[in-house]
Amino acid sequence: MVELHEDMPITDRRLGLRLSIKQQPVMLALVAALGVLFFLAVAGLSRAYHAQREALGERWFSRGVADLNGKRYDSAMTEFRSALLYSPDNFDYQLNLAEALIGLKRTGEAYSYLVNLWEEQPENGVVNLELARIAAQRKQTEQAQRYYHNAIYAVWPGNQEEKRRETRLELIEYLLSINLRAQAQAELIALQENLGDDPAQQRRVGELFLQAQDYEHALAAYRLSLKIERHNEAALAGAGRAALELGQYSLAERYLQAAVAENPNDAQSAERLKTTQLVLRMDPFRHGISVAERDRAVMEAFAIAGQRLSSCATPKGPNVPATGQPNLADSWAKMKPTVSRQELRRNPDLAERAMDLVFEVERQTSANCGTPSEADQALLLISQSHEGN
Amino acid sequence: MAPEVNPQAGLAESLNLPAAEARPGNGRSPKALLKSVFREDRFFLILSVFIGVFSGLAVVCFRFAIGWGRLYLLGTGAVLSPTRLLLAPTLTGLVIAVLVIHVFPLARGSGVNQTKAALYIYNGYIPFRTAIGKFITAALAIGSGQSLGPEDPSLQIGASIASMMGRRMRLSRDRMRLIAPVGAAAGLAAAFNAPISAVLFVIEEVIGRWSAGILGSVVLSAVSSVVVMRLFLGSESLFRIPAVQLERPSELIAYAILGIVGGVASVVFSLGITTFRPKFKALPRWTQYFQPALAGLLIGIIAWLGAPQVMGAGYEAMDEAMHGRFTWQFLAILAALKIVATLFSFVSGTPGGMFAPTLFIGAMLGAAVGGAEHVVLPHLTGSPGTYALVGMGVLFAGFLRAPMTSVFMVLEVSGNYSIILPVIVANTIAYVISRGLQPIAIFDVLTRQDGLELPSMEEQREEGVLHVEDAMRTADGLVLDAQETVEQNLVKVEPAKEEEFLVRLPSGWSSVSKQQVRALVDAGKGGASLGSQLAIREIPFLHPDLALETALRYVDRWPLVPVVSRADVRHLEGVISQRDVLERYREFGES
Repeated sequence: MVELHEDMPITDRRLGLRLSIKQQPVMLALVAALGVLFFLAVAGLSRAYHAQREALGERWFSRGVADLNGKRYDSAMTEFRSALLYSPDNFDYQLNLAEALIGLKRTGEAYSYLVNLWEEQPENGVVNLELARIAAQRKQTEQAQRYYHNAIYAVWPGNQEEKRRETRLELIEYLLSINLRAQAQAELIALQENLGDDPAQQRRVGELFLQAQDYEHALAAYRLSLKIERHNEAALAGAGRAALELGQYSLAERYLQAAVAENPNDAQSAERLKTTQLVLRMDPFRHGISVAERDRAVMEAFAIAGQRLSSCATPKGPNVPATGQPNLADSWAKMKPTVSRQELRRNPDLAERAMDLVFEVERQTSANCGTPSEADQALLLISQSHEGN
Repeated sequence: MAPEVNPQAGLAESLNLPAAEARPGNGRSPKALLKSVFREDRFFLILSVFIGVFSGLAVVCFRFAIGWGRLYLLGTGAVLSPTRLLLAPTLTGLVIAVLVIHVFPLARGSGVNQTKAALYIYNGYIPFRTAIGKFITAALAIGSGQSLGPEDPSLQIGASIASMMGRRMRLSRDRMRLIAPVGAAAGLAAAFNAPISAVLFVIEEVIGRWSAGILGSVVLSAVSSVVVMRLFLGSESLFRIPAVQLERPSELIAYAILGIVGGVASVVFSLGITTFRPKFKALPRWTQYFQPALAGLLIGIIAWLGAPQVMGAGYEAMDEAMHGRFTWQFLAILAALKIVATLFSFVSGTPGGMFAPTLFIGAMLGAAVGGAEHVVLPHLTGSPGTYALVGMGVLFAGFLRAPMTSVFMVLEVSGNYSIILPVIVANTIAYVISRGLQPIAIFDVLTRQDGLELPSMEEQREEGVLHVEDAMRTADGLVLDAQETVEQNLVKVEPAKEEEFLVRLPSGWSSVSKQQVRALVDAGKGGASLGSQLAIREIPFLHPDLALETALRYVDRWPLVPVVSRADVRHLEGVISQRDVLERYREFGES
C-alpha cells in the first residue's frame, strides 16, 4: 500500500502539477549541458585512472621479467600477478606468469593460463611450445605432438626459422625419448631438408638419426658436416659409428681411425675401430683375398666358435641357459676334423658350411651365454653383413 | 447565406482532434509541436536517456573510486602486507561507521530495498545526499576489502540521480514513482555491464510487473548507461569467460547436484544474515561505531591466514576460479569463508552490495562441486568455468530469489546460449530448495526487519489467481428452451428452488426469472414461444479460464451469467452468480 509520509522532506509538494511546457526544453538543455560537463570531467578522471593503472602494470611486469630472467620464479610470479591486477587480459603478463609457474613446477596453474592464451592466440609459438612441454610431462603424447606441431608452424618473435628448428629438434628428442622412432625419423628428414650447411646442426641431426637407428641418414648428415669441418672429431666418430652399423667396415675404419687420431681419448671410437679392424681381418668373404687367407680366416673363426661353445657349456649363472648348445657342439665336433687347410682346398663348399655353423654358434651363444668376446662380436657382425649380402 | 466550410476543420472534427493537429504536412504551430514533443510520456522517455547517461557516468566514477580506494588503502601488489591487511579494513571501518551514523544515515545496507521504498512509499523520492553517502562509504568499504559488492550501491546511486532529475523536472506523481526504478536499472546495468539482466532484475524485484509504460524507459536508461560505461571502462564483461560446453545431456545430473548444493548454501547464507542482522542492530548504539571495524578486522584476519580472495568484490578471484586455477577443496573453503566475511560485513551496517558476494560464493561453490564431481566421474566434460558460471546463477536464484534474472544474467555474461540447459536445471532446483526451506525472500525479510511493509515480488508472483471455473457451478435444471412455449417452460421452473434461469437462444444466451415466466402466463401469453417474449434479448457470457475478477463486472447486472466453452459458445460449462463469486473469494481468503 502506498503511503505518503507527512514528515518526509519532500521538496516538491507540487508533484501533481502538470509540467510547464515552456520550462522543459530549457531544463533539458541545461541537463544536456551538465551532462557534457560531467562527461568531460569523467573523461579526465578516466585518463588519469587508466594511465596510473597502466604504469603500475608495466612497473610490476618489468620487475617480474627481471626476476624471471634471474630464475627467481617465486618473486616473478607475485609480480606478474600484481601486473595482471591492472590489466587482466594482457597477453604478455599472462604468458610470463605461466612461465614463472612452470619454473615453480606449478604446471597445473601454468596450464590453465596457457590454455586461455591458446584460445586467444592459437598461432602463438611460445604458448604452443609450453603447452607441448606440459603435455609431454603429463604423458599426453597425442596432445604433446599436436602442440609441438602447432609450435613448429606457429608465429614466433625474432628469428622465426631458428625457433621452429629448435622446436622440431625438441619434438624429435621427445619422440625418441618415448621410443617413437619412425615418427622421429620423419621429423628428422623434414628437419634436414630445412637445415642448410651448418656443420654443427648437421652433426646434431646426425646424432639424432643415430638415436633413431637411421644410419644411412646419419652417415649422410655427418658427411655434410665433414665437408665443411673435415677434422671435427665428433663428426668423424659419428660417421664411423654409422658406417660400422651399416656394415661398411672399410669406410668405418677410415672414419674411426681419423676420429681416434683427432682425439686419442675417445675410447668408444677406439673400441669401435678395434672391432672394425677385427671384422675386416676375420671376414673370409671379403673381396680380394687369397684362398689361403680365406682358409686361414675360416679356420680361425671355426676355432673361436669352438671356444665360445666350450665356454658356454658351463653356464655362468642361473640366467644363462645352455639349451641348444649340445646339438651345435655335436655339429661342431663332427665338422672339426674336416676343417683343415687340405679339406678346405679340396672341398670349396666346406668353407661356406663351416662359416654357417660358426654364425649359428655365435648367434645362439650371444643370446644365451652372456657378453661375447671381441672376436665373437666381430664374427657376429660378419654374420649380419653376410646375411645382408 | 450559407456558412463558409473549412474542410480541414471538418476533418479535425471528424477525428476528434484539434484543428491544428489534423493539418496535413508541416502546418503545425510551434506551440503545438512543442506540446506534442514534450507530452509527459515522451518527455519521460527522453529523460530516461539522460538518467542513463548520468547514472553511467556516476557508476564509472564509483568504479574509479573503488579502484583508487583499493590502491591507496591496500597497496598496489597482488600480495598484501599483513599490516595493511589487518589495519586497512579495520581503520576504514571506523571512518565508515562515523560517516554512516553522523553524516549519511540512509547509506546503510545494499540499496535495493531503499529503491523499492522510494517506489512504494516515498513517491519516488530518494535524497541526493544518500547517493553521495553511498558513493563515498561504499567505495571506502569495498576499496578497503570489506566483503561487499558495487552493484547494489550503483543501483541506488542511479535511482537517486533519477529521483533528483525527476524532482527538478517537476514530473507528475505517477511518473515520479516510476523514476527510481528507471535510474536503478541504469545504475545496475552500468555496474554489471549487462543491460538485459539489469532490466529484468528491476522488473522482477523492484517494480514487480511488466508494464509497457515503464519498460521503454527502463530499457532506454539501461542501454544508455551501459554505452557510457563502456566508453570509459571497455566492453569486456566482468569476467573473462572460458569456453563453455555441454556435450552430453546426461551431464545435467551433475548440474542438478550443483543446484541442490547451491540451494542449501543460499539458505545458510540467507539465514545467517537474517539471524545476525537484528542481533547486531539490537546491540547498544555505541557498538555501531565498531561493528564495521570488527567486520573489517575479521576479513583482514581471513586474508592474512591465506584467503585474500575474500576481500572486496572478488572479481579477480572469480575469474581465476573460472579458469580452473584453484583446487576444488580450496574453492569450497573460499565459498565458506566468503559467506562468513559477507555476513559480518553486511550485518555490521557497512554500506555495500550483496550481488558480487553472491556471485563469488556461487562461482566458488560451482567450481568446487564441478571439481569434486570430476574426481568421482572423470569423464565429465564440463570445464570449471562452466560450473562456476552455473554456480553464479544458482546462488542468484537461490539467495536473491530472482530466477528469471539469474538465467539471463548467466547467458548475458557468458554470451553462450549452450549453457542455458544447465543453468535452468540448476537454478530451478536451487530456487525450489531455497523457497521451500526459507519461504520469505531475503530482501523481504530485510524490509520487514526495518519496519517497512513493501510488497513482496515473490509473493506477488506466486499468489494464486482465481478463475471463473473456480467459482462456477453446474447448470442442471437452469436452462430453458426459447423455442418451447412459456407454459411448457413454467412447468420446468415451478418445482425448481432457483429463481433465475438461462434461456438458450439460437445465437446465444438470455435469462429470465421464475416470476417473469409466471407473469407471462398470467398475461395470457402462455402459448407463445418463450424466446419471442423475452425482455432481454441476449446477455454476455464468460469462459472458464477467465480471471474471477472479470466475472465481477457482469454478475451485478445479470443475476446468472452463463459460462461457455471457447470452442462452442452454445456449449454450456456452468453458470455463475454474484453469490458464487463472493463465496469463492471468502473461501480463498480463509484458506
